[in-house]
Amino acid sequence: MLADIVSNLSLGLSIAASPEGFMFLVIGAFLGMIVGLFPGFGPAAGIAVLIPMTFGLQPTIAIIMLAGIYYGSMYGGTITSILINTPGESATVASTIDGYPLAQKGRAGPALVMQAIASFFGGTVGVILITALAPSLANFAASFGPSEYFLIIAVGLLMLTTMMGDNKFKGFISALIGFAVGTVGVDVMSGQQRYTFGSPELIGGVYFVAVAIGLFGIGELLHCIFNGQHREAPKRLRISFRDKAFWPSRKDYSESRWTFWRGSTIGFIAGVLPGSGATLGSIIGYSVEKKIAKDPEKFGKGEMRGLVAPEAANNAASAGAMVPLLSLGIPGSGATAVLLGAFLMWGLQPGPLLIVNDPGFVWGLIASMYLGNMILIAMSIFAIPLFVKFLDIPYVNVVPVIVLLCVIGAFAINASIIETWILVGSGLVGFAMKKYGYSPAATVLALVLGSMAEETFLQTYIISRGTMSLFWERPVSLVLSIILCAVILVPFSVGLLARTRRIRKTTES
Amino acid sequence: MKKWFAAALLLLAIGYTVYGLNTLTLVTSSGRPAAGFFPLVIGILLIISSAINFWGDFHEWRAERLSGQRPVHQADPEAEAKADALGVDAHAIDGGPEFGADVAIVFCYLCVFVAIMPTLGAFLAMILFMLAFLTTFNRKHMLSNVVYSIALPGFLYGLFKILLNASLPTGPLGF
Repeated sequence: MLADIVSNLSLGLSIAASPEGFMFLVIGAFLGMIVGLFPGFGPAAGIAVLIPMTFGLQPTIAIIMLAGIYYGSMYGGTITSILINTPGESATVASTIDGYPLAQKGRAGPALVMQAIASFFGGTVGVILITALAPSLANFAASFGPSEYFLIIAVGLLMLTTMMGDNKFKGFISALIGFAVGTVGVDVMSGQQRYTFGSPELIGGVYFVAVAIGLFGIGELLHCIFNGQHREAPKRLRISFRDKAFWPSRKDYSESRWTFWRGSTIGFIAGVLPGSGATLGSIIGYSVEKKIAKDPEKFGKGEMRGLVAPEAANNAASAGAMVPLLSLGIPGSGATAVLLGAFLMWGLQPGPLLIVNDPGFVWGLIASMYLGNMILIAMSIFAIPLFVKFLDIPYVNVVPVIVLLCVIGAFAINASIIETWILVGSGLVGFAMKKYGYSPAATVLALVLGSMAEETFLQTYIISRGTMSLFWERPVSLVLSIILCAVILVPFSVGLLARTRRIRKTTES
Repeated sequence: MKKWFAAALLLLAIGYTVYGLNTLTLVTSSGRPAAGFFPLVIGILLIISSAINFWGDFHEWRAERLSGQRPVHQADPEAEAKADALGVDAHAIDGGPEFGADVAIVFCYLCVFVAIMPTLGAFLAMILFMLAFLTTFNRKHMLSNVVYSIALPGFLYGLFKILLNASLPTGPLGF
């Protein structure tokens, strides 16, 4: 087992550490840091917008670069959380709670270094666990039938929507919209055209990249404009790592030594679970750390453990989210959904067979994540002054760059002006979805998984002769069905119970 | 606007389902689900959920109108979820003034950019978009706006056309 892992990793390293692989890994990590730096522009948007930049690369190298953007943004997102109290992306919100007070206390340097170390620790623990778990899960998943796959997709989407607090219902609608858009094109089973309105451009379906760039890229951008980010003056900050006060103290390390482990473990579990991802992982990581601390009153006032826990968690979660993606072919978040779209674009079908059929790709990607974390910790510490400089660029200058990248990128994929208009329409819809409480991530996830969901649903229907009994006859399906029911019923029952209690209290008083 | 978006979704859901019912085969002659089966399931779920959603948003709007109170800002759902988990006010994460007019302007510029791209070519369209955008929102720095509006499209055009060998629309000037 261990020998297999070592030989597989050696194969992966030979690909990831090749001059071309290494160069694009560095470019991806660097771009990821920058994507993370700009508030409101998360990894999903970053990957979607930069997919066209990977044209002309070998598939493995392209995915290594895109994955670098994905986990690199986790590192970059915290810089703004600490320095200007503005999370670069949602997974670094929890880092703001103690990160910014640390900067206010004059400890921005130690906070930035500790977040880099925590990110490295979480990311590395996550990749070690991927190395150990992904092949086993893929072996286990090899016995899965259509009912299991359909249920995993359903559980993932439902968990993603339950993350949306009061907007769960709108999350559900968002997922249905994705499924509906996914039905456009030729039906794979019968060959009949659906919703093409006679347009030859729609026979192949609505191309996912244009929709993803529109919803995440243009939609996010319009939302940032709506919030007035383009009218804000840049925040001028100066940081130098030559300063003695830049480095953390011995006390910082010793106090946080177990926090690294706890945050990483919690984050990885949250990442593996479909739908939860890095945002929830970092929030749980922070909450657990605060709960078990002997001095919880220090949290929120500049406590290093309050920064280390969510940072280790969100990086471990971003690694954990690759487990279901690689071994089942099912993404659990918007960013991994975009990555899956990129996989498919390059003709790679993630799932149990990918590790067997294309070990070079899977292990190259995993090995690149080890290397990527090393590159990122070096960048995060020694290039902090450079990344801080990026914050000097006024957002008003960043907006047109992103628009140009989105439009030119969407056109360049298939040289199609229709797809460019789909991008524009998706951008407007993405903005409205964000503004009115819907989830673009659920839409993209459903769009990417739509054909798989339909195929597995129909196969289950046909095999069980219309009774859908496969959902409870097979052991794994039964467990997944129970989880599915629990995801639907538990929040509903809790809400009902709380309401009943409230009414009883009001009646009593 | 929230209720109109919900209403539009409901109408689209009805249109999607009705069009599917009229154009697609639901069941094959052997009784198996055909191309229209899955869209019908999705369509029905969409109609039901969009109708409930519209009803909720409409009631919310009516309650706001009757009470005369309007929320200052509709928070981002992600921010709301995070705020719930963190026990803080969502507006602290995603609040502040709104710039709807700016969104409309940028969206118009974007539409014009895409509309003129096939005729004028990608390079000229990019320059015009940059100039229009920066002239509107960054009036104080006209010289740097002009330099930026030529340099950046030049860089991107070179990157996509020459380095990535991507196909971009060509204008009357040949680029």
